[in-house]
Amino acid sequence: MTALRRHRKLSAIWSSEPGFRGWFSSVNHSDLGRMFLVTAFFFFLVGGVLAMLIRAQLATPHSAFADAGAFAQFFTMHGTIMMFLFAIPTFEGLAIYLLPKMLGTRDLAFPRLTAYGYWCYAFGGSMLLVALVFGIAPDGGWFMYPPLTGPLHSPGINTDFWLIGITFVEISAICAAVELCVSILKYRAPGMSLDKMPIFAWYALVTALMILTGFPPLILGSVLLELERAFGLPFFQADLGGDSLLWQHLFWLFGHPEVYIIFLPAAGVISTIIPVMARTTLLGYGWIVASAVALAFLSFGLWVHHMFTTGIPLMGLAFFSAASTLVAVPTGVQVFAWIGTLWKGRPEMHLPMLHIFGFFFTFVIGGLTGVMVAVVPFDWQAHDTAFITAHLHYVLFGGFVFPILAGIYYWLPLVSGRKRFFRLGEVAFALIFLGFHGTFLAMHWVGLMGQRRRIETYDAETGWGAINLISSISSFIMAIGLAMVLIDVLIHAFVAVRGGRNPWKAGTLEWASMSPPPAYNFASLPHVTSRDAFHGDPGLANRLAKGEGYLGDPQSARRETLTVDIATGDPDFMVIYPGNTRLPILMAAVTGLFFLSILIKLYWLTPLALAGVAALALVWVWRLGARTDAGPQDAGRGVTLALAGETEKSPGWWGSVFLLVANATFFGSLLFGYAFLWTVAPGWPPQDWLAPSLVELGIGGAAALTSALAMRLAIRGNRHRARPLPGLAFALTATLVTAVTFAMLLSRVPPPDGHAYAATLFVLGSYALCHALIAGLMLAFAIARARRGYTSPARQAEFHIVSLWTDYLAVIATLSLLAAHLPGFLA
Amino acid sequence: MKDVLRILLAPLLWLASFSATYGLHGIGCALGWPEIALWGASVFRVALLTAWLVAILIQVAILIVLHSDRFRAASAFTQWASLATAWVGLVAVLWTVYPVAVITACGGNG
Ligand code: HEM
Ligand SMILES: [Cu+2]
Repeated sequence: MTALRRHRKLSAIWSSEPGFRGWFSSVNHSDLGRMFLVTAFFFFLVGGVLAMLIRAQLATPHSAFADAGAFAQFFTMHGTIMMFLFAIPTFEGLAIYLLPKMLGTRDLAFPRLTAYGYWCYAFGGSMLLVALVFGIAPDGGWFMYPPLTGPLHSPGINTDFWLIGITFVEISAICAAVELCVSILKYRAPGMSLDKMPIFAWYALVTALMILTGFPPLILGSVLLELERAFGLPFFQADLGGDSLLWQHLFWLFGHPEVYIIFLPAAGVISTIIPVMARTTLLGYGWIVASAVALAFLSFGLWVHHMFTTGIPLMGLAFFSAASTLVAVPTGVQVFAWIGTLWKGRPEMHLPMLHIFGFFFTFVIGGLTGVMVAVVPFDWQAHDTAFITAHLHYVLFGGFVFPILAGIYYWLPLVSGRKRFFRLGEVAFALIFLGFHGTFLAMHWVGLMGQRRRIETYDAETGWGAINLISSISSFIMAIGLAMVLIDVLIHAFVAVRGGRNPWKAGTLEWASMSPPPAYNFASLPHVTSRDAFHGDPGLANRLAKGEGYLGDPQSARRETLTVDIATGDPDFMVIYPGNTRLPILMAAVTGLFFLSILIKLYWLTPLALAGVAALALVWVWRLGARTDAGPQDAGRGVTLALAGETEKSPGWWGSVFLLVANATFFGSLLFGYAFLWTVAPGWPPQDWLAPSLVELGIGGAAALTSALAMRLAIRGNRHRARPLPGLAFALTATLVTAVTFAMLLSRVPPPDGHAYAATLFVLGSYALCHALIAGLMLAFAIARARRGYTSPARQAEFHIVSLWTDYLAVIATLSLLAAHLPGFLA
Repeated sequence: MKDVLRILLAPLLWLASFSATYGLHGIGCALGWPEIALWGASVFRVALLTAWLVAILIQVAILIVLHSDRFRAASAFTQWASLATAWVGLVAVLWTVYPVAVITACGGNG
């Protein structure tokens, strides 16, 4: 087969539907990565316009441009859009687009999940846009502190838009994070052991893990606050045993890691670009990996430093002050590794490099002001002034926007297959750089003079007028610069001349595919023997196109790729992907219906929407699998592999593991909230505890454990005698008993709107009930699959997935029951 | 996965002990432990110092175990990276939990 025929054949198998119809049914990571990026930049524009409105209002004293209400919507939506709808999705888009190419494979682990995540993001973001257009956007500041955002102080729908829209968007972040973890760990070219992974993959892995553990506390907080607003469960109301500090804890448990979730991918871009621009290899690869991991963990120990002014005991403050100073170390290690890399190489001044220098300069200043803010007494001074806002932009714009601009200019030739010819980008950089520093140096300055953040107007006597005017004019200069980048990119994408492969002479594998890359990325998969696979081997691209790698022989109309052992990178299984489908967008729409029904209080629709999601999920998984054993498959180069469905630890199993990590964080945060309210909130202990019942405790716990054990029996029965059904039926019964116990528990909980204790129990019980029902649904599904012949001793993957969920049920059911009954026994 | 866990283990345990100590501090304050004397200090101080000590011992144990022939990683890179993060864990425990030794118990900051 010639390279051209192979290309035609693979294209026919992998292509999305032509034209705009393809947007709705594509599951291809290149398509979806681009859609993510375009949407994210659209939101960057919206957030930028809001920033311009803010600066226009603050340019002069006594400005009558916007009233207090509109101004509050401006800054809240600016912050919210930039953090949730621009920064995080930009990371997701970049990672989704690039990673399979960098890792030398054909797609991400769960193509349909990529699409589902994208549509959740698009729909959730649109909800917030609608709110903005109709002037009913959230206005409580981007961290939404109650009681300001509680039912008493903001009765309108504004806050609900935030809580519901952002939670919807976070589903997409969780989906992307699960997918990226599994893809990076399992979906790599053969031979790519952990130490040969491109550095960007390490950063993306760490970031994805942080999303899985950082977002659940915020999701929980949003759920609790929405429950308080909609049904009066008093989690944050001091007179009924709640505490608004709980929100601050949950928010910053997410919020501080969020800063690093934004920074780490940018650092990954920097670590990728610098060695290429300096014509050398990255200095201290292992050090960088270790410090990215260290940074990720340390950042979770910092949340309280945003609450220094809330009257937390001194010792608590000291913990977090100490931890805050410690993060400087791994950050410093990375910065020195970058400088060292530049030092040892011969840096060339291309456009991406300009933005990297913009990053260095800005980020270092941001770090210095950050140390100032981390010192507790200074924070009491500067708290809530424009100094803080200015600092935060040095970190966020310096640490994210500059590196991302560098990344755009670096990868643009890959995406478009073209060459830049105007020098627009350099001018744009100059405007952005000068405009940025003008804007925010001035804001540091008025901040020190005492201008508070989030004020919509100020008196002429304060003497802040001139400085604010400088800041506003500079911000318009920056906006012009950013608009020029946009024009530059558009010109590039549509009219520039075609360029050759690998213009920067980079060593990572994404440059070994055609540019623009075909839907299947690589006609055959490489065998990787070094970190810069493409450096010493310029002929690699041609050999891959000629089918000399793995899976170079497209026989049937299957989308094939393979997975590898996590540590060594030896190929272990072959994967067959599902094809184009509209199921993801449909499921995202029904998920949206669920959120919408809560937003506009159409509660009869809520259970229907949930049932719809469950039904679609069943269709989703039912379409996979086969009714006969396929046996070993030829993967090329003398390697035969089993199909992933004929293993114990299939991709779906790994996906469940990571999803459960996020889920367990959610549950852990709930237990934390329970303990926190108990020990800190006023109005505890509550008047009456749930009447404890040994019977309920015993039956519920035993049933949940039984279901986990019975699932194991089912797996053994399947393996030895091809008879999974008795075990499955047993497990299903036990799960249903668990569900009934929790339903009874819920019926006995004291009225949840009376005290935060009862409210917490109500949520805890509902969570467990919900998981019992999910496990029940999965077991019923497994039974149906077994009866229809979709399973066999070899085709066992689905049972192992269900087993994970019954195990999880056993753990959380036991813990929930203990948390519910023990206080009553002790009292 | 074992190799990834090896790299993540020490900082993970740091996070756990850090949060646990902070939680213990909250519980101690709520239950009035600083007022109960024990061995020339208060129950509060003794409990927190013990927690710190345990946290340090855990980190030291990880370091030793990672060095041992039985548990060392197969690849040089993973071995190196896991030792590096193990040191991070130890330093982080020493540095971020040391306030239990020096700062007054439950006083607010006004
Ligand atoms: C495009 C250039 C930008 C300009 C001119 C700008 C300007 C501003 C201004 C003037 C405020 C202060 C509102 C006030 O307190 O009175 C603000 C707040 C904020 N900005 Fe930006 N910003 C820009 C980009 C970004 C980016 C890229 C991010 C994040 C990735 C970001 C995140 C935030 C956040 C979180 C707030 C706080 C919102 C709140 O107080 O609730 N901004 N911005
Ligand atoms: Cu922070």
